[in-house]
Amino acid sequence: MAEDEKDKNPEIVGFCCSYCTFKASEMAGSLRMKYPEGIKVIEVPCSSRVDPAFIIKAIVEGADGVFVSGCHPGDCHFIKGNFYTRRKIAALKEMFDAFSMKDKLRLFWVSASEARRFIDKVTTFYNDIKEKNNEREKA
Amino acid sequence: MKGKKLKSGEIENALNQFLKDEQHLVLGFKKGEGGVGHQIFKGSLDHYSLVNPLFGANAALYLRRLFSKGLKVMLMLRPCEIRAYVELHKLTQVEREDIIAVSIDCFGTVSSKEKKDDVPAEADKLTGYFQDKDSMRWACSVCRERRGVVGDAGVRIDKSGNYWMVPYTEKGEDLVSGMEGEFEEVPAEMLIPESAKTDKFQIDMETFNKDFEKCIMCMNCRDMCPVCYCIDCVFNGDEYLPKGDALLNKVFRTGSTQMPRGKDLFHLIRMYHVSQTCVGCGACEEACPQGIPLTKYFKGVSERLQGVFSYMSGRSFDEPIPYVTFLEDELKDAMD
Repeated sequence: MAEDEKDKNPEIVGFCCSYCTFKASEMAGSLRMKYPEGIKVIEVPCSSRVDPAFIIKAIVEGADGVFVSGCHPGDCHFIKGNFYTRRKIAALKEMFDAFSMKDKLRLFWVSASEARRFIDKVTTFYNDIKEKNNEREKA
Repeated sequence: MKGKKLKSGEIENALNQFLKDEQHLVLGFKKGEGGVGHQIFKGSLDHYSLVNPLFGANAALYLRRLFSKGLKVMLMLRPCEIRAYVELHKLTQVEREDIIAVSIDCFGTVSSKEKKDDVPAEADKLTGYFQDKDSMRWACSVCRERRGVVGDAGVRIDKSGNYWMVPYTEKGEDLVSGMEGEFEEVPAEMLIPESAKTDKFQIDMETFNKDFEKCIMCMNCRDMCPVCYCIDCVFNGDEYLPKGDALLNKVFRTGSTQMPRGKDLFHLIRMYHVSQTCVGCGACEEACPQGIPLTKYFKGVSERLQGVFSYMSGRSFDEPIPYVTFLEDELKDAMD
């Protein structure tokens, strides 16, 4: 893949909980809503299944951004999974902050019915990263 | 806080008394020909040294999966080692029942690699030796807790050079009440002051890549880390490292890549995995054959990440590790 083509289309890996956010992404599909094709959604049983090592691996191996998304706090199918996620990702964000790459990671809460919110969130993330990449290209 | 002022030689007496039982052991320091090192004493003390000015490995490493089954083990170690033991206990790697952990005021240490012959092994001479912070290891000069205030009991040294034994838990209470002397109020000001706060760690990936250029992925840092305890580490074998097609894929996505492959991945993931339990002892840097400044990264990152939850590794037995617990109402700004 040519360099400039890659920068035009950043690639974003998203870990989505299968009970909420993944259902929202499916609903967005059935409603014929569009989100950028650079977003690669990975289904996980619960957002707390995401070991921060997965995120670090994705970023080190070339993803432009990673997001983790699950049910709203309190709505977890497994009762308390996303509370752990929140702690883990908050700590990981602090670590990315220490390495000056905080903008590469985001955490969303999207429930199964919030297809529009899902589209909004991922599109904003995608556009932000694209803008950052273009800025870096110019500099 | 109450404690006992000890006469000189009282600690050795008490330990010898403790060792009279067949089933009792002491893990402490032995002063030998080639320097001071860790030793498990059985029967009686021999060339015992209370303090150890050389740092080679963190003794909590030897306690992993130690289930004493009725034996009693007394640890007479540095605060960083006791803190690592406390963390390992929380991670269910050590059973606490039969272990008495005593932390001893630490003056700082020099690297055992340096082989300095003029380092004294007596507490009273060490204060002078470490007056200048540059003479000790970097990890020790920025240590978060050099006072013996962790574990079941602590050995403190006051400004006039007297030794104090201070209990912190019931087990420590038992130990101290068996020693000679009366319980008195412990002076607030001790020889070793509370550590100063260090600056927030901030770095970028360019510096990181430059610092780790020399890494050969021997994984000694992982093996010698007292709190990096998993038997099935994700980096055993090369399943987690980019190889074959995945390696080429990474090169095409991220540009020129340093070899051996995946060393940035290895260090960043390990940094996260030990973040809440890292005690900043610097055993990783000690084990590194390439002299990479690992402590700077691991200690810096772990201090920041522990700060998020106002946690300090090894401070107390009761605080759970932040990743295994939660509050429902917290971290409102974590989500975007």
